[in-house]
Amino acid sequence: MKKYKLIIVENDEDEQLFMRQGFVASGLFDIVVMVREGNELFEWLNQHSSALPDLILSDLNMPGKNGFEIIADIHKHPAYKIIPVIITSTSSIQSVIDQCLSMGAAGYVTKPDSFVEYAPFARRLHELVAEKNLA
Amino acid sequence: MTEKSLLLLESLSDGVIMLNPDGMIIYCNPSVTKICGFTLTDLFNKSFDFFYESGLDPVRAAYELKTAEKTGRFDSEGWKKKKDGKFWGCLTISAFGSGTELAGYSCILRDTTQQKNEELRLRASEERYRLMAEGVKDYSIFLLDTNGIITTWNIGAQIMTEYRKSEILGQHFSIFYPPEEITKKKPELELTVATATGRYEEEAWRVKKNGVHFWANVVVTALYNDRNQLIGFSKVTRDLSERKKNEELLRLSEERYRLLVDQVSDYGIFMMDEEGRIVSWNVGAKRIKGYNADEVIGKYFSLFYPEEEIIKAKPAMELRVARSEGKYEEEGWRLRKDGSRFWANVVITAVYNSSQNLIGFSKVTRDLTERKQNELAINETNRRLRLLTEEQKITNAELYYANQELEQFTSIVSHDLQEPVRTIKSFLQLIDMNIPETETLLKTYIGKSISATNRMRELILHLLNYSQLSKGEWVMQTVDVKELVATVQQNLITAIDSSKTKITTNLQVTQVEGDRVQLIQLIQNLMGNALKFSDEKLRKIHISSVMENGYVKFGVKDNGIGIAEGDLHKVFEIFRRLNPDNLFPGTGIGLAICKKIVDRHGGKIWPESTLGEGTTFYFTLKNKSTAALHEEV
Repeated sequence: MKKYKLIIVENDEDEQLFMRQGFVASGLFDIVVMVREGNELFEWLNQHSSALPDLILSDLNMPGKNGFEIIADIHKHPAYKIIPVIITSTSSIQSVIDQCLSMGAAGYVTKPDSFVEYAPFARRLHELVAEKNLA
Repeated sequence: MTEKSLLLLESLSDGVIMLNPDGMIIYCNPSVTKICGFTLTDLFNKSFDFFYESGLDPVRAAYELKTAEKTGRFDSEGWKKKKDGKFWGCLTISAFGSGTELAGYSCILRDTTQQKNEELRLRASEERYRLMAEGVKDYSIFLLDTNGIITTWNIGAQIMTEYRKSEILGQHFSIFYPPEEITKKKPELELTVATATGRYEEEAWRVKKNGVHFWANVVVTALYNDRNQLIGFSKVTRDLSERKKNEELLRLSEERYRLLVDQVSDYGIFMMDEEGRIVSWNVGAKRIKGYNADEVIGKYFSLFYPEEEIIKAKPAMELRVARSEGKYEEEGWRLRKDGSRFWANVVITAVYNSSQNLIGFSKVTRDLTERKQNELAINETNRRLRLLTEEQKITNAELYYANQELEQFTSIVSHDLQEPVRTIKSFLQLIDMNIPETETLLKTYIGKSISATNRMRELILHLLNYSQLSKGEWVMQTVDVKELVATVQQNLITAIDSSKTKITTNLQVTQVEGDRVQLIQLIQNLMGNALKFSDEKLRKIHISSVMENGYVKFGVKDNGIGIAEGDLHKVFEIFRRLNPDNLFPGTGIGLAICKKIVDRHGGKIWPESTLGEGTTFYFTLKNKSTAALHEEV
């Protein structure tokens, strides 16, 4: 099974910790880097433009550059626009989901009910990426 | 405005007033205060006819503004209000604006009381004598200049000789003498005697226009001015022949009458002689003005004008215009016999006989009061509408921001409020994992904490769901009722199975119009409640759909604990819970959501219940045909 190179954008440090544990435990993703918001993401991308990730998994609501802005800015960038961005959030409001997808998000996945469920979350995400042939 | 032009405005001795397009005062210079005593504070946002001594009059005001806009200016002369009384003044209104857009009106206010008094005094003295002489019917009274040329003419002279004023002025008075008298130079002789002795009197034959002789008593009096210079003669003649003057009047009147349509009742039509005295009167005139013919014939038509107009000599001016231009037309207030006013359209036309002599005027009057009032009402409505639109714009803007805030709030609820609950739950689960199974008490506490966070999460989700119902996207479509109920049963399968509830249906109506997702939620919430609120061993739920009064009526009936009658009205209140939490947990939002969904679908929802025996929740929806009907309407 293909292992995807992944960047995770998440502002909550605790959540970051559990995400890392879950994703590592799943053995399906290589986490390239974890950043706290969009500006940090672009800073990293600019410094590592020769080693771009297969996929970006981003939270929606973050201080700094939020998920919406990340989708928009990635799409504007000639080199980065090929990177699929999947949004993850606790919100399951249809209008929010629709907005993300219409702006160009490659997918939208609701966050698990608790931090301890990130391993199954990682497996579902891998299925989604493989199924849609996103990366 | 530049400082110079402001200085100019403020220093002008004439009052300068600026009006907005509705005729409301928005500026006045200090001279206005000097003239009338009112300050800008008194006048601001008052209608310009605030100055009119006759009081506010929206009909007249609208007409004057419209005239000013159409013709460039309107002069309103008359009594004006002063802080401490009244003055005779003139308000000149001019419209201004760029292109066809009306921006407002500029007005000049002048106090002309002094000039007017002077003029009135002078005219009063002259007028008295003139009217006296002219009104005399039984005597022919007229003036001659020093050469015997006729310079004035009265009604009596006209009746007696049948010459009209327009054809006799400028003629020599010898025209009334038989030819043999003229060859004897009798007329000149009379003047010589009168000049010498001051007076000449005789009884002799005179000749009418039609050649008929009449026996007349004649008195010629020489007139001198204050420097004792001869300025002319007055001549007073009495017809001593027995012919009845009334007959003569009638004949003249009938001659004119033929020129008129008498029985017209929508229009007041009457004839006047050259002086403006009424000589005929039709049905319409009687109807509009309220006078009978015998009350007005022989009177001046100024009878129908308000006092102020008469002082302004407006009636005379109208005749002058009609005489020189053939026609005079205007709209204005006129008086009825009972003193009430009506807004009239008036056309005065000069009437000539076959030999092109002016024989009088016709006057056609139409009562426009009703039309005018309608127009005014429309104007007022438009003005209100404009204000309302403005207000609505503001309200819309406010609503827009309120909506924005609600969006913000929704986002806070859905994310920011959920996030910490998730974190708490996550760490509680971690703690739980790390506590050995032997710590049963701690495990219990943590279990309770976790279920509390679950409840909190559920509450947030429901609240969010409720707030989302009012906004945005929903799809009206034809929904299959059987499929709807089956879906709900599938969603609730665990609860149905574990409670061993028997579900029966009687779905007579199989299709409804609505948003499928919301309808599922509606029925699911009601069925969920039916499942929840029961302590029976043999639980039953019956779902029905029937047509009733053009609507589809659904029923969800259970044999559960029921609702007390006094509590029935409370069930749809948000967060309202009627039962203790440990027996029947819930968020208190479910039925509030149901109510909102039914409201949005244009239906009704209500419970019927007997405590201890069960509850039926009914709701109505439109079926395809009623929904279509509804949309057409």
